[in-house]
Amino acid sequence: MTFDAIGIAGSGLTVHRKWLDAVSDNIANINTAKSTDGAAFQARYVIAQEGEGVSGAYVAGTEYGSEAGRMVYEPDHPLADAEGYVRYPDIDLGAQMGSLIMAQRGYQANAAVVDRAKETYQAALQIGRN
Amino acid sequence: MLESVTSTALTSALDGLSLRQRTIANNIANVNTPGYTAKRVLFEDALASSVRAGNGNVTATTQRSLEPTRLDGNNVNLDTETLSNVDTVLRYQFAARAVEGTFSGVRTAMRTS
Repeated sequence: MTFDAIGIAGSGLTVHRKWLDAVSDNIANINTAKSTDGAAFQARYVIAQEGEGVSGAYVAGTEYGSEAGRMVYEPDHPLADAEGYVRYPDIDLGAQMGSLIMAQRGYQANAAVVDRAKETYQAALQIGRN
Repeated sequence: MLESVTSTALTSALDGLSLRQRTIANNIANVNTPGYTAKRVLFEDALASSVRAGNGNVTATTQRSLEPTRLDGNNVNLDTETLSNVDTVLRYQFAARAVEGTFSGVRTAMRTS
């Protein structure tokens, strides 16, 4: 018997924390304007994958949102180009909020697994004590 | 006494329950992984027939859950996994206490002369 349920739950915690980090970064930059000669702020989407055998989950990579973003006419903006346009990121706030809740609930579920794994190991440690 | 059907069966039960605990942890860690299908650990029926045959030794088997998947191809049901997790903790504590009981029987036998 190996004591790795805590480690597996820990891998789930890491995946969900990275997802939370990405989502909060996306929401924080939802109104970040860029000049039209560069790319817009690109939203980050973490890609979760199952580990080998029974070893939990891990973040296999990141996908990025659209480079083009949305062109918005704001002639007074200091970054506006000759035609008066700036580039805003193309991020759907509703989808990001949905992801935020899913990531948070996933994190909580994994934290609860750590507690229950601990109870199991404590029972195993009691064998042969008295 | 130490190699009795009871202690062999209890050891098999502890092994099976600990594998189930790890499998549930894996299912919950992958609750948001696209394309992941939940796994189930089965050993109770095999253990019962093994005990009936006077052996008590059994290896747990892992199966893929056939529940319908969500849109992202994942079929982990957080409610059933959580319930099964709590259930496994309690069963493990129960089996651990039973192992303790067989040991205290041996200890009593060793003290009596």
